[in-house]
Amino acid sequence: MTATPTLDLEPAGPPPAGFGLDGKRRRVADGAFRLAALASGLSVLAILLLIAVSTSQKALPALRQEGIGYVTGSRWAPNIDVFGALAFVSGTMIVSAIALALAVPVSFGIALFLSEFAPRRLRHITIYVIDMLAAVPSVVFGLWGLIVLAPWIVKIYDWIADKVDPVPVLNILFGKPVNGRSFFTAGIILALMITPIITSLTREVFDTVPPGQKEAAWALGATRWEMVRGAILPHSRTGMIGAVMLGLGRAMGETIAAALVIGSSARLTLHLFSSGDAMAAVIANQFGESGGLHRSALVAMGVVLFAMTIVVNMVARAIAGKTPSAAPVRGRR
Amino acid sequence: MAVPSPIDLTSTNVQRSRRLRNHLATSFVYGSVLVAAIPLGFVLFYVAKKGAGVVDLAFLTKDIPIVTRLPGPGMGPAIAGTLLITLAATLMAVPLGILAAVYVTEYGQGSRLAGAIRFLSDVMAGVPSIVMGLFIYTIWVLRFGQSAFAGALALGALMLPIVIRSTESMLRLVPNALREGSAALGASRSRMIMTVVLPAALPGITSGSLLAVARAAGETAPLLFTIGAARAVNPNLFEGSNAALSTQIFVNAQQPFVGAQNRAWGAALTLIVIVLLLTIVARMVSRRFTLR
Amino acid sequence: MTRHKSGMVRMTALAAVLAVGAAACGSDTGGTSTGGTQLSATLKGSGATFPKGFYEVAIEAFHTEQPGVTIEYPGGGSGTGRQNLQDGVVDFAGSDGLVKDEDKPKYKGEFLYFPTVAAPITVSYNLDVKDVVLDADSIAKIFQRQITKWDDPAITALNAGASLPSTDIVVAHRSDGSGTTENFTKYLVAAAPGTWTLKSGSTVEWPADTQAGNGNAGVATIVKDTPGAIGYVDLSDAKATGLTFATIVNQAGKKVKATLDGASAALAGATVNPDLTYNPLNAAGDAAYPITAPTWILVYKNQTDAAKGTALKAFLTYVLTDAQSFANDVDYAKLPDSLRQKAVAQVDTIVVPAA
Repeated sequence: MTATPTLDLEPAGPPPAGFGLDGKRRRVADGAFRLAALASGLSVLAILLLIAVSTSQKALPALRQEGIGYVTGSRWAPNIDVFGALAFVSGTMIVSAIALALAVPVSFGIALFLSEFAPRRLRHITIYVIDMLAAVPSVVFGLWGLIVLAPWIVKIYDWIADKVDPVPVLNILFGKPVNGRSFFTAGIILALMITPIITSLTREVFDTVPPGQKEAAWALGATRWEMVRGAILPHSRTGMIGAVMLGLGRAMGETIAAALVIGSSARLTLHLFSSGDAMAAVIANQFGESGGLHRSALVAMGVVLFAMTIVVNMVARAIAGKTPSAAPVRGRR
Repeated sequence: MAVPSPIDLTSTNVQRSRRLRNHLATSFVYGSVLVAAIPLGFVLFYVAKKGAGVVDLAFLTKDIPIVTRLPGPGMGPAIAGTLLITLAATLMAVPLGILAAVYVTEYGQGSRLAGAIRFLSDVMAGVPSIVMGLFIYTIWVLRFGQSAFAGALALGALMLPIVIRSTESMLRLVPNALREGSAALGASRSRMIMTVVLPAALPGITSGSLLAVARAAGETAPLLFTIGAARAVNPNLFEGSNAALSTQIFVNAQQPFVGAQNRAWGAALTLIVIVLLLTIVARMVSRRFTLR
Repeated sequence: MTRHKSGMVRMTALAAVLAVGAAACGSDTGGTSTGGTQLSATLKGSGATFPKGFYEVAIEAFHTEQPGVTIEYPGGGSGTGRQNLQDGVVDFAGSDGLVKDEDKPKYKGEFLYFPTVAAPITVSYNLDVKDVVLDADSIAKIFQRQITKWDDPAITALNAGASLPSTDIVVAHRSDGSGTTENFTKYLVAAAPGTWTLKSGSTVEWPADTQAGNGNAGVATIVKDTPGAIGYVDLSDAKATGLTFATIVNQAGKKVKATLDGASAALAGATVNPDLTYNPLNAAGDAAYPITAPTWILVYKNQTDAAKGTALKAFLTYVLTDAQSFANDVDYAKLPDSLRQKAVAQVDTIVVPAA
């Protein structure tokens, strides 16, 4: 994109007087700066390489012992060195799915609002709201979720469980809760946290729709919604998918808010109102006391989680050219 | 961009069903803003209400109490720790990230190395924060013990890819005309970068870095195993345990004792204020100084 | 066991203890620990949350006596403490459980067990019924999810005269590696061998539909928040959280409440090994509370840092002498005198390099 100036920057003769360093010293200083820049770039590679090597090394003993059983086994028993992480992988997926199910429609709605529907003043206010949502640290969401949301939302879970009791599939998903610490509560908190990123990425996509398309829709007498459906959405589909995938990547890596409200039970279940566990939260909870093979198994879990996140981010990149670090700064923690 | 005003839709020319769908869509869109704003409002309200009851000068300056069950201040060491660790992480990650981005955009376009760096910094942006903490624990803490510096390493590693990418996109926005003009005047590449390109991109770079700092200040997972649990202010970056607001909130949130929970709310309020200040400054810098 | 005092009164008692501790620094109780020299060091510890209520108060009181010594004890569970000591990340570890023989070589050297206090592990529950009576068999079945409702015949048989509701039982246990879990399950292995199948350890494979909390405080929170919940919590945390706890039928067939007297009775009969480990669980005797748990501080025998080593010895001596006087006030049982004296003598065997 940025074309290099192709002019020769090393003039044959000495530069005009008073223009800074002369000849050789200038070349040395120039070279030194280039070297510094190159070294910084290489340091990124070096750090990543170090992370990859060090974590894989630590993870190997556990993975070698369990083989594929590490992700397909559902028995996690550190006291006898049996490590099957299926319950946690499933937990991560369930919580992420809930978070997406809640966050995606809302984020798309807000993005549309900002792009097409909002009068100017409301747009500014909404942008502030989204910025604030992005600024609240994950641990604060977790604190609020644990102390305020969980005790209150149990009543709603109870009500839902009563209502869907006779319905065949739903009564498995939405069975009676024990307390507010559950997959669903974690999903709600995560949804709040990933909304800003999905919203801003989607809005960027909406803003790139060629105005001609929109004007054509207006000219044909479309209502605003019809214009959106006809001109904006078809154009933005891949971008929207990319935004969703990046949101998914963030949700999967979320450690702290999930750890506080998910309930910490190693359980393989589809019961959304039950407590469970997710990979990142398990690592945070068990790492301190782990040693030997147990620690190796936890590092392996980190590796698996990292791998899953990479896959999701690569898919997002492939589909929509969206990348996680280009997104507005908002942590997955 | 200017949109021609739509045809009058209130006339009966438009079928009722189309009008209805439009109204529904509009309600949905307005509704989603509410759905996001209301929980946010509740969170901020609770943090403000419970935190304000706890935060006072004593809270901001006194040591963390030894006996966790009792109510009372304070979180002074956690505030100092958060600022120290975040500052150290920033000093490590921001210059490194800016230089790396400079390499990628100014020196290495098209080269495979630059492409690899960009790709890998995206990969690094996807490292779960807990994994970063584990990594630093394994290679640093086991050898040198827990310290603010270990935490800063972990945070810096998390900030690095963000700084790189946001700096890169800012550098890309600098018009080529500026570069070409500088070259035409005989400036060397490094001089051009330092005196023309970077200053032009500076507001964006600053705001991007400030946002990365704001995020790092709120991180918890990387600090859990790397900084320990100090109760008094520890200004020593390299030696001895330290404290941070985020880890204190995490630990105190799980206690059943009201005193501990109140300290968590107070710490949460303080942390939000710090992060908010950084975010506001970042947005102001970006808006006020960006070349358009 | 009924609630004793409301939370506020407990806080006042705790504050009073601290005041006493602070005053004690002035009075000379036999020229303890340091004989007046001011020490300066930072000691890092981690581990059991079971004795944390006591250690925090002891640390605070010790700090008034030796302001130059800073001691950090954030808890984390016995498993974390032992692992941290192995890794060399802390100077001492709190552990309610013993180190397995196969793990001993992983430590950086020989280490010593210092018993500090003991306390009942309560079986706390969230029901509007006071003084529920349980025995080892029913506890085992409850925690294995073989008994799932509070009005199960096995429970009502023990509680003639009380009206138990048909609420579902929610089992709460530890999510972290816990010495409290280890002692609780050890008790069940000893007292209900035919019924308890999950064996014993710092983590066990609890049934799937149970809840887990971090630390004793975490389990206490779950019991407090969830109607029908039951969980094992140390006495101090249970009282501080305002929980109700069960009366347990002991080995002699007597019903004993979770009190310090019951704990002391259990301690009195326990055999002490040469390394100062002992087992007061499922003790014999009419007055013994059957789930009385021990706890130790683990330190390396050969210290590497002179200042830290001296401070460590001073702190250990303080815990074993002055601090014992306020153990009861925070709901921990003092050590029996004979054991305490052996522990104090063992402090002298710690080798500190010359300054």
